Amino acid sequence: MSEVIVVTSGKGGVGKTTTTANLGVGLAMRGNKVVLVDTDTGLRNLDLLLGLENRIMYDLVDVISGRVAYKKALVRHKKFETLFLLPTSQVKDKSAVNPEQLVQLCEELRKEYDYILIDCPAGIEQGFQTAIAAADCAIVVTMPEISAVRDADKIIGELGRADKENIKLVVNRIRPQMVEKGDMLDMGDINDILSIECIGQVPDDELVVTSTNRGEPVITMENSHAGQAYRNIVGRICGEQIPFMEFPKEGFFAKLKRVFGR
Amino acid sequence: MSDAIVKIRGTRSGLQLSFAKDADYEAIEKEILQRFESGSSFFVTGTEVFVSKDSLPHEQIEKLKRLFHRRGMRFRTEKHAAAHAKGKEQQQDQRQPAKEAAKEPKPGKDTSTEPQVQQMVVINKTLRGGQEIQTESSVLVCGNVNPGAQIIAGGSIDIRGTCRGMVHAGAYGNSKAFIIADHLMPTQIRIANLIARSPDVVEKTDKAERASIKDGRIVIEPIER
Ligand SMILES: Nc1ncnc2c1ncn2[C@@H]1O[C@H](COP(=O)(O)OP(=O)(O)O)[C@@H](O)[C@H]1O
Ligand SMILES: [Mg+2]
Repeated sequence: MSEVIVVTSGKGGVGKTTTTANLGVGLAMRGNKVVLVDTDTGLRNLDLLLGLENRIMYDLVDVISGRVAYKKALVRHKKFETLFLLPTSQVKDKSAVNPEQLVQLCEELRKEYDYILIDCPAGIEQGFQTAIAAADCAIVVTMPEISAVRDADKIIGELGRADKENIKLVVNRIRPQMVEKGDMLDMGDINDILSIECIGQVPDDELVVTSTNRGEPVITMENSHAGQAYRNIVGRICGEQIPFMEFPKEGFFAKLKRVFGR
Repeated sequence: MSDAIVKIRGTRSGLQLSFAKDADYEAIEKEILQRFESGSSFFVTGTEVFVSKDSLPHEQIEKLKRLFHRRGMRFRTEKHAAAHAKGKEQQQDQRQPAKEAAKEPKPGKDTSTEPQVQQMVVINKTLRGGQEIQTESSVLVCGNVNPGAQIIAGGSIDIRGTCRGMVHAGAYGNSKAFIIADHLMPTQIRIANLIARSPDVVEKTDKAERASIKDGRIVIEPIER
């Protein structure tokens, strides 16, 4: 049974692409056949995170427009043989791919792959509608800050409107010291507002950045906290019961109220 | 366009539509859709649209009703009809007269023929940022009202969850209207023409609270339920 998962957020820069790359590698490391579809046209960078930039020949728009078969456009990962990338176009028109076309492509991909991960553009415009159209499941990525959580809330509403009810939450870039001081929303605050199942709590970790520069996602690094958090998410996606990593204690409603309660 | 198939007249409460004598339904619908497409400023979300129930056969009225509801507009066939919810939530709302709460809702039936019946809009989910409910009746939310969400109700508002959005009860002047929530911590409370802003620091309450007007002020007090 293959699964199409869209990784989305509303707000940009919260870690959609990072999450997509890491989960893709993690699922492939477990022996799954995985394809990552980058739909963030114009802001192509999933290939960078995977160190595949120089291998791109064709892109999503070439495939959708029928210029090439999708198999020709797929880029195989250097290290993880069951991981493939379908890159997006760097330049072409954002509206070049419509929802029906992506649904059709995913139907094709389902025949060959266990997991199809779609990296979604920010916002709730056409690009978002296209990216979510084929998804069985949506992963909403947010950060522990008010504006990111509010945008996540909107996105969850939009997903509901599109009849996507299977929605999971990943909270990225958690900084335990800040949470402890009450300068950052804690998980209690976030769950309170978003009230959807959380499958990941990823700490802020410099290794995310350094690994990006090397083109090898942090999930491969044994000693990285973020890497461990991503491995846990992969386990949960595969149906395992994994407790969350220890984070400092919760209960900073006051901060939340200060900002939400205005 | 003096010989238009659809004639639109502005009234105090919204728009009144009438149709050319022998116009067929297809043509009417087509013209209305065209107006939607053209981004006509007439048909904005929340607008109340009145069509006399004798102006078209019943099933055509029903079709029109659905057409306007899909666009988030309210639709009436009687002068003092009861309310309809507006906005994005339209399709999901289950409207049911309070007295018949136990029975199945009958979406097809227009209860507006019984103007005495108090209606209540029931929302069975969390209202998220950017979502909005507007209705002349009362509202029951079985879920939270999140920051950035908004409820504007002619009657009272009862939230079986946490309220962090903007809530306005008695929006059409009923100062007896009230607001209840399990956790009442909205950005703003309005009742009739009064506004209360929440304090800058709000603690999450353990008790359900009720906001109402007393001596010309909005007061909030804990309640049992
Ligand atoms: N857990 C993390 N710790 C540190 N930096 C991170 C983490 N997650 C993401 N980043 C950094 O944040 C930036 C934005 O991430 P990205 O995945 O491109 O976001 P998006 O795709 O949502 O726009 C990148 O520079 C990335 O390296
Ligand atoms: Mg991105």
